[in-house]
Amino acid sequence: MLLQLTGVAAGYGPKTVISDIALAVEPGQIVALLGHNGAGKTTTLRGIMGLLPLRAGAIAFDGKALDRVGVADRVAMGLRLLPEGRGIFPDLTVAENVEVVAARNIGPEATFGIADVYKLFPVLDERRATRAGSMSGGQQQMLAMSLAMLGTPRCLLLDEPSIGLAPNLVERMFQQVQQVCRSHGMAAVLVEQNVAAAMRIADRVVIMNNGQIVFDGSPDEARASNVWHYF
Amino acid sequence: MVWLQLLVNGLVTGSALGVVAISFALIYATTKIFHVAHAGVYTLAGYLAWSLVSHGVPDVLALLLAILCCTALGALIQHQLYARLERRRATHLVVLIASLGALAVIQNVIAAVYSSNILQFPVPWSSRVVTVGTLRLNWAQILTVVLSVLAYAGTMWFAHRTILGKQIRAVASNPFLAEITRLRPQRIYVIVVAIGSAIVALPGVLVPLDLGLQPYGGVTPLLTATIAMIAGGVGSITGAFVLAVGIAVLQNLSLLVIPGEWSIGVTFFIFVIFMLFRPTGLFAKAR
Repeated sequence: MLLQLTGVAAGYGPKTVISDIALAVEPGQIVALLGHNGAGKTTTLRGIMGLLPLRAGAIAFDGKALDRVGVADRVAMGLRLLPEGRGIFPDLTVAENVEVVAARNIGPEATFGIADVYKLFPVLDERRATRAGSMSGGQQQMLAMSLAMLGTPRCLLLDEPSIGLAPNLVERMFQQVQQVCRSHGMAAVLVEQNVAAAMRIADRVVIMNNGQIVFDGSPDEARASNVWHYF
Repeated sequence: MVWLQLLVNGLVTGSALGVVAISFALIYATTKIFHVAHAGVYTLAGYLAWSLVSHGVPDVLALLLAILCCTALGALIQHQLYARLERRRATHLVVLIASLGALAVIQNVIAAVYSSNILQFPVPWSSRVVTVGTLRLNWAQILTVVLSVLAYAGTMWFAHRTILGKQIRAVASNPFLAEITRLRPQRIYVIVVAIGSAIVALPGVLVPLDLGLQPYGGVTPLLTATIAMIAGGVGSITGAFVLAVGIAVLQNLSLLVIPGEWSIGVTFFIFVIFMLFRPTGLFAKAR
């Protein structure tokens, strides 16, 4: 098991947002984490990254308990987050964005290098000298995706990666994620509003409602079951 | 040709102020800390150099040692004061007050060790005057302009061409993303305050070569530098430098029409004009 959450609870201030979260992700697996706004999906991802202290439960990554592991060390272990809406350095050029993240995250056997970024998103290659914050939302999201993957990600946590992207680009980006998962045994937890696109690449579907997991099964089981009233 | 002399005087003062402004801007844009104690670091640099020169240390070596000490002091202030407060989730106001406290400590220690009177540098070459036509400049002033422009160019090169400079700008641009891409923002904060302190030590030594040392002499330059930073557009090194030069030139030229005691008033007048017509600053980037 690559990533395992048992009985996890977390929240902000006096409010506990998620509780009793149990989730297991195997290497190479893509888990679509779905649910309506405020269901606790982003909070779950933040808890996994160590950005939020846990109120109960435990998280293990690659068999190692994470309770005393800081954010930077979790990233070094291969846990990578694409944060919703703020995944780029807006005041730096595209090339500088890629360079600063690459400098700290690319080792000798990186699965995703600088050349891969420009191969996957040729438009970023054309925009190398452009200030990232001045690009369109879709281009910014492509850059954010690239920054999250630079190096050797072993478990990618994607928070709404399709926001601002054209449908054909979403397909291409998801296919790329799927390909890296298949070829390198990388896992992905995909939080998405675009349920249809997420279901197409997901190996498993987990549905959250009011801070709890209410469904965990295959995409086919999800389609057959009556969980859709949660949306 | 009084106006020409005033213009040149403004350029001299402005270039030194510009270096104070870029150092403060670098720190503020990255850490978001209103580092008032920077005025103390600026002042301390002059006194350290004065002590070293008085004990027979060569001038250049004294300058370099003063820069080195200020670098260490800056790192210490960030690491031992601001970072500790931040870990305890202190608000910006608390950090500002801590910074004011650090400034008071530095100033009082200087006043106790030296004196509150003006001290002149014991370097005769600095006050030797060069005359070009009707213009009169001393060597301290010429050196100030030359080294300040070099410091500006060096800072620009560092921020845009080196990987550390780019990492600092990345942390300034999006600290949250910096955290989850292992740029180690806390470490970058220590480095940026250290670098800013090294930069401010340069005018800290050069300006007193001409005007002498005073324990509380750092506050007005810092205030003007702050205004230059805001009017220039927070985050823009060029904006901070250009505005500092512009403010100093206008302050000097204003002497033609209004008395000298109004010069700080002139600074604030320029500031108000900017806030009314260009509130994000002259060199602010479009979001």
